[in-house]
Amino acid sequence: MALAIESTRFGHVEIDPETVIEFPDGLIGLGGTRYALLTSDPTSPFLWLHCIDDPSLSLPVTDPHRFFSDYEVELLDEDAERLGLDDATPVDVFVTVVASAELSEFTANQRAPILVWNGQGHQIINQAPGTDLRAPLFAEVMGSAGDPS
Amino acid sequence: MLNITRRRGERVVLGDDVFISILEVSGQTVRLGIDAPRSVRVYREEIWLEVKRENEAAAQAAGASLPTDLPAPLKSDAGESLRSTVVNPTSPPSQT
Repeated sequence: MALAIESTRFGHVEIDPETVIEFPDGLIGLGGTRYALLTSDPTSPFLWLHCIDDPSLSLPVTDPHRFFSDYEVELLDEDAERLGLDDATPVDVFVTVVASAELSEFTANQRAPILVWNGQGHQIINQAPGTDLRAPLFAEVMGSAGDPS
Repeated sequence: MLNITRRRGERVVLGDDVFISILEVSGQTVRLGIDAPRSVRVYREEIWLEVKRENEAAAQAAGASLPTDLPAPLKSDAGESLRSTVVNPTSPPSQT
């Protein structure tokens, strides 16, 4: 049976329970332990991570590798152990996006990516050097302006 | 706020399973050791706060539709194994 939510952003949405992602710890600083990915355009690079417990909570996420050619995630050993992750675990990586009226003002949080695997999700603190809390999302795909070197 | 004085090598216990040790005190710096169950996440406050603020900004900044006319991506592989629910961006929100 589908889960029905009354999203403040999208109105009535029915979600297949099998697509629900459990976030045992929620997102950092935000509530909610069950989320689902929504899209209003399957060709868009953006997905909506929508909270099922709170119909007013949803945030856009994207695949960082679409926008940042050298993006990497490094976990603290303690986090990897806590989450039961190793290098062989296939993980989907997302970053949260702060949208704006101008593409040049879109930013993504490289420092706290969201890792999803086996139906569960965790937002972790990235230990890789050189990550930006507000990385201009389109700088690299729009030209040399985003070249960090 | 509870206010406790501790010396180096002493500990504070939160509940029954979170132990905070004073490892070292040097001038303005205190080095803590934290022993907690796996379910307890531990952050430096400033990192926790900046991520919380970015999460809130992401949740508040966007309208229901994001731009679709975008530059070509570098590459994409994340999320293709995940199923998402297609929603209608033009459907009216339940509150306006």
